[in-house]
Amino acid sequence: MIGLVLVRKKIKDVPSFDIVQLGSFPSPNHESPRNRVQAHSKLSTSAIVFLCQRRREKFPGQREISLQWKIPNLDNAPINLTSLREQSQKELLNIIKNIRWKKCLVIDPKLGSSFSSIIQTSLLKEHGVDLRHLSAEPLQTDCTKVVYLVRSQLDLMKFICSNVHDDVSKGLQREYFVYFVPRRTVVCEKILEEENVYNLMTIGEYPLYIVPLEEDVLSFELDLAYKESQVDGDTSSLWHIAKAIHKLEFSFGVIPNARSKGKASVRVADILNRMQAEEPVNSPDMVVPEINTLILLDREVDMVTPMLSQLTYEGLLDECLHVNNGSVELDASIMGLQQEGKKIKVPLNSSDKLFKEIQDLNFEVVVRILRQKATSMKQDYTEVTTTTQSVSELKDFVKKLNSLPEMTKHINLAQHLSTFTSKPAFLGQPDMEHTIVEAQSYDICFEYIEELIHKQEPLVNVLRLLILFSITSSGLSKKQFDYLRRELLHSYGFEHMATLNNLEKAGLLRKQESKSNWLTIKRALQLVVEDTDTANPNDIAYVFSGYAPLSIRLVQHAVQSGWRPIEEILKLLPGPHSETKRGRFSSSPSYDTLQASANIDKVADGRRSLVLVVFIGGITFAEISALRFLSAQEGMAYDLIVGTTKIVSGHSLAETFVERLG
Amino acid sequence: MANVSVAAEWQLLGDRYYRKPELYHPMQWRHIDLSRNKVACAPFGGPIALIRDDSKIVQLYSESALRKLRLFNSAGVPLSDVVWKNTGGRLIGLSWSDDHTLVCIVQDGTVYRYNVHAELIEPNLSILGHDYFEENVVECVFWGNGVVCITETCKVFAVPDFKTRTVVRLADPPPPPSELELELELELPHCVAVIEPQYTLSGNVEVLLAIGDGILMVEEDEVQALPVPPGDGPLQKMVVSGNGRFVAAFTHDGRLAVYSTRFEKVFEYQCESALPPEQLAWCGLDSVLLYWDDMLLMVGPSDEPVRYLYDEPVVLVPECDGVRILTNTSMEFLQLVPSSTVSIFKIGSTSPAALLYDALDHFDRRSAKADENLRLIRSSLPEAVEACVDAAGHEFDVSRQRTLLRAASYGQAFCRGRGIGALLRMWRAWVGFGSNFQRDRIQEMCKTLRVLNAVRNPEIGIPLSIQQYKLLTPSVLIGRLINAHQHLLALRISEYLGMNQGEVGARIFNSAELQRIGSRKMFVLSLSFCIPLCQGEVVIMHWACSKITASLAIPDAALLEILLDKLRLCKGISYAAVSAHADKNGRRKLAAMLIEHEPRSSKQVPLLLSIGEEDTALMKATESGDTDLVYLVLFHIWQKKQPLEFFGMIQARMLARDLFITYARCYKHEFLKDFFLSNGQLQEVAFLLWKESWAIGKNPMASRGSPLHGPRIKLIEKAHSLFSETKEHTFESKAAEEHAKLIRMQHELEVTTKQAIFVDSSISDTIRTCIVLGNHRAAMKVKTEFKVSEKRWYWLKVFALATIRDWDALEKFSKEKRPPIGYRPFVEACIEADEKGEALKYIPKLSDPRERAESYARIGMAKEAADAASQAKDGELLGRLKLTFAQNAAASSIFDTLRDRLSFQGVS
Repeated sequence: MIGLVLVRKKIKDVPSFDIVQLGSFPSPNHESPRNRVQAHSKLSTSAIVFLCQRRREKFPGQREISLQWKIPNLDNAPINLTSLREQSQKELLNIIKNIRWKKCLVIDPKLGSSFSSIIQTSLLKEHGVDLRHLSAEPLQTDCTKVVYLVRSQLDLMKFICSNVHDDVSKGLQREYFVYFVPRRTVVCEKILEEENVYNLMTIGEYPLYIVPLEEDVLSFELDLAYKESQVDGDTSSLWHIAKAIHKLEFSFGVIPNARSKGKASVRVADILNRMQAEEPVNSPDMVVPEINTLILLDREVDMVTPMLSQLTYEGLLDECLHVNNGSVELDASIMGLQQEGKKIKVPLNSSDKLFKEIQDLNFEVVVRILRQKATSMKQDYTEVTTTTQSVSELKDFVKKLNSLPEMTKHINLAQHLSTFTSKPAFLGQPDMEHTIVEAQSYDICFEYIEELIHKQEPLVNVLRLLILFSITSSGLSKKQFDYLRRELLHSYGFEHMATLNNLEKAGLLRKQESKSNWLTIKRALQLVVEDTDTANPNDIAYVFSGYAPLSIRLVQHAVQSGWRPIEEILKLLPGPHSETKRGRFSSSPSYDTLQASANIDKVADGRRSLVLVVFIGGITFAEISALRFLSAQEGMAYDLIVGTTKIVSGHSLAETFVERLG
Repeated sequence: MANVSVAAEWQLLGDRYYRKPELYHPMQWRHIDLSRNKVACAPFGGPIALIRDDSKIVQLYSESALRKLRLFNSAGVPLSDVVWKNTGGRLIGLSWSDDHTLVCIVQDGTVYRYNVHAELIEPNLSILGHDYFEENVVECVFWGNGVVCITETCKVFAVPDFKTRTVVRLADPPPPPSELELELELELPHCVAVIEPQYTLSGNVEVLLAIGDGILMVEEDEVQALPVPPGDGPLQKMVVSGNGRFVAAFTHDGRLAVYSTRFEKVFEYQCESALPPEQLAWCGLDSVLLYWDDMLLMVGPSDEPVRYLYDEPVVLVPECDGVRILTNTSMEFLQLVPSSTVSIFKIGSTSPAALLYDALDHFDRRSAKADENLRLIRSSLPEAVEACVDAAGHEFDVSRQRTLLRAASYGQAFCRGRGIGALLRMWRAWVGFGSNFQRDRIQEMCKTLRVLNAVRNPEIGIPLSIQQYKLLTPSVLIGRLINAHQHLLALRISEYLGMNQGEVGARIFNSAELQRIGSRKMFVLSLSFCIPLCQGEVVIMHWACSKITASLAIPDAALLEILLDKLRLCKGISYAAVSAHADKNGRRKLAAMLIEHEPRSSKQVPLLLSIGEEDTALMKATESGDTDLVYLVLFHIWQKKQPLEFFGMIQARMLARDLFITYARCYKHEFLKDFFLSNGQLQEVAFLLWKESWAIGKNPMASRGSPLHGPRIKLIEKAHSLFSETKEHTFESKAAEEHAKLIRMQHELEVTTKQAIFVDSSISDTIRTCIVLGNHRAAMKVKTEFKVSEKRWYWLKVFALATIRDWDALEKFSKEKRPPIGYRPFVEACIEADEKGEALKYIPKLSDPRERAESYARIGMAKEAADAASQAKDGELLGRLKLTFAQNAAASSIFDTLRDRLSFQGVS
């Protein structure tokens, strides 16, 4: 019962906040050059607080404005993602409905957070479910039926086994159901068998391959995919990705063009073709497939971009607060709530219109926009109070007021973010990153990293720079390599031997074996762009204030002219590349270049055709923003949607390599 | 009128007509006496099972004393038979499940299952199990795919689904009330009925037991007494209606009562006999049949029942729309006469349909009256046509079907009328009731009737009514035909109907063919079968399997040719399934040849394993990219082979090897070490040992026994020596050596300082802790021991001293010698500790003016900062600093700031 109560509480806690509390915020400690950001938001916040107080006088009954948790709105997606999500919802509810009576649903926590993009938790509750998170701790519940909903991962099996063993030793007789996401696997069942619990279980599957996060972002929710395939050689994720794309093809038709770059990408394309051969998607010849092109990119191809600090609003939120499936968790006090020390979950997805407007902008610009909005409101308010207004004008004003909760939310967040951005450690970071990317001053970079290690700055931050450094200079000299590794072990402990070993296996930190070709790549793809105007950007480089993400440049080229013109550059990047025609188009010569086919499509029905860009190993918010920027360009013949194993940041990516033994 | 004869066969019950057409007469079997046998008839015109009733004393004629289980189709054509040799005592009940498996339950609770070919399906299921082996089953009631059994001590068991084969023990009925305590024996129920799970609220089966005067409703975990209207109990016999909403029961005083399932009385009829009927059955939902010897009584909602007399034993087979009546010599179907048929053939009927039918008769006799009739009904012609089509569908007699359809098409030809009729027709066409629609209806009905007539043929013997056919669905019918090995007809029908929704067929195919393959493989295979197949493919695959079974004499290569010849015809053939069948029949080589043609690796791989082609299986699995398949092969080989051989097989295959390592890392550590040792990857073993050392460190039990962390250090040293075996791992080797040394040293420190805070912290942390504790000698010792560079030493010491705010020591330290990295650490430490005064001691010593400027700025000294910046001649820096201070004054608004910044930039 406790679990149920907890769940209920948690849902209730989700921001239902009193906007009048907004007046208090911490005064800034550091007066740094970039503090202007803070000042902007401060002023605008006071404007709003003022407004809110006024408003409260006017509508005393409406003190509480609750920000209900909403799953992302997918209505405007270029393909019908709503039906995809509904299918997943239905399947999940069916599993729950099919097990009669009261039951305890035990979800593995990572999966649980994926669910927040699929279904309202309250819906699960309606079906008499006692919700728990899977852990090694004994399961406390009165229910005799226990339903485990877990990803098919080995370590999770151990938790289930220990739960069951615990029940057996206590003499509890329970009925166990294990639903694997997305499918049951021999190896997981093997462990259950070895632990002698297999016979107690009813095994099922919940085929969740794709989670739509936004109208244009699909996630396969494989957070360890990159590490698993790069370090352990476990390529299960590749099959999963291919399966997911194949599933999409069943709904939207066979994707006629495929471009891939990187070892894993080429392999996924290969598996996908194999699946098409084994289990063909039978689309009638007349129907034009909804997705025109598939671009598969390995994270391995571009490990530079994720290691850089993201400077878009959503990217910065992720860097500082770790966005997790469309929400950030932070202290209630930051959101202006009076519950000290309590954590609240703040939703961040397209159901929030203001967020949709500003998520992809450079943070500097976001602050400016928030301020403008607040100012215009203030002006409106003054007009309302001073002059006589028509009813319709009043109505407009009240309508504007409805966006207040969203405004306050983002002003609070921006305020909180600037406490991070004003720290000297944070300020130094992007500068140094740019220096490394410029790849002109090797020694400065080396010494900077050395100093970070000596100062025992957080390990992951150091690793990010180190990876960036190693990649752009294609490895470190033997002497420096050994020296830095030794300093790392001395500073952070010998357990990181395993971490270093992982990084080395993945090729992210290594000895120099050949001359670096980073400069050539950088120049050829115009990765560093001077004079970027973040407010009115004309190039994707705005997302990193002057650096254009390599991965997105590749997509840009792939979409505009295909791989062929940049073949030489592609060869310099890791992994093979390929370009294929698929399905019934595999032998049609008329579809020569993408551009040509796009024009045909355009003429045919006036709609832009659709490109699915799949990132194997994760994509950052900044890159998504850059892609959105691309597809919003005039003269662009394509809509872009993103598929990714997971939304990552340099932090989360580097973290997967860190072994925590101690 | 000519139609009198039709209606003359009908009986009136209340206001409804019933008829009893003969389906088969005579039955094809010889010398069958139903009264000597236990009989099970499957609904939907399914097969009939007969076995001599061992609970009756019967005279043996010229026949064996051994009993035979004999299976017939509904027309009495023998399908198969088998001698009954099963143990377990008397046969209590037998019945057909939905997938045409004959389920036989004997006294000790064992369930024997047969397919339509009288082959025993292993394994047998025991309902009572070991716990109740001394009990006996006395009664069982079947439904769909389940059964409920009552034991002699009145325990109730249920098998909700023979497919999942789980046995559920339902709640026990309460012991008899205390005044009956004298009777030691438990009272057995007078009769039992079952409400199927699909009709209950809980979704579980509910059993109705007539015990004493009342009814007990037994569920999985509760028993509920239902109040029976006084005077009715004890109930002698009861049966639940086809929709699960009513119960018909025969009371002790000879009344037939119909109740709701909560036993509120709906209807009652006083019979002439108080003796309970031998059989009681619902006929559709409108009437109840009672059978005593020689007499069949049909009771409907009216007072006057219908009586039928029989001079031979009958068996009643309830169907969804009537009851089939099986006797020794015939099969009849008792049903409500459909309303369309009534409207045409009812004596004196002047309905448009009747007149249309009559018009055709006149037309055939070239009588002008035909036209007169048509004129009469012109406006309602479409209804008349519709009624004729409908009536044709309900006919079993082919010539009458034909006449009715001719009447319909005759009428349809006149549907294109003029005037008001045409307008009417146009309107009807507009709402979807026009002649096109009717033409389709006639065509569709012809198709349906062709199929029905084909399966009603005595050779096939499936006498489906049209309503049953619609309920059963064509794909299930085809599945049943396949099951009975009527491949050709099944293929023809599926082609004729142009079906491609084959899931049901695939399912049936599955259950028939793959029952004996192991569970895991079964799973993989059945998954792959779930893809929709074309019905024709199912048929062809089934044919291929039967062909293999039947052609033991044909050599592999020749048979392969024969098979491929046909299999190639369809695209989505599952070669794996056919191959599996070949393997099951002992034709391994043929299986291997067939499996080559299978494009789906998920099916190919398990089969390759089962025929012993591990290497190929591993290769195919790897190619497919499906790691699950690779694991399947991996575990299979692992189980089968010696470790060394296993290692050898996976060593060369990267994916298999990596997956093995991943699994073993998580679960089979020791075995993994063996693997690495076997192929000489000593460094990997070393890593494993090193990791183990951490595991020991985490385990408090391990360290308690040996205060010197002996085992840990030993493991690390072992790792060290393994690393040093290869030249490439000197770094790791050295690190391991240092690690061991560090733990030793930390342990000593813990002993001397009596604080357990050192072990498992890093070298840097150890130094800092020492300094914080004031133990500078120890810190120095660690420094020299591990050759800590001066640079790191300075950072560590400065920050440690700042932590304990020992500013004097810090100053002393700064003066020891010229710091190797300048005074920046000192400045940073002081600023971070918010000690401006201390910071000021070091800022002037910074050599770089820009650093100086920024440091001043950080502690808020504007003028000094500006001085230093101008010294550096760095405009950009100056701009940044000025901005900071402009804001610090905190008076100007954001607009001002922006303008300031812009204007300044312009100046610089």
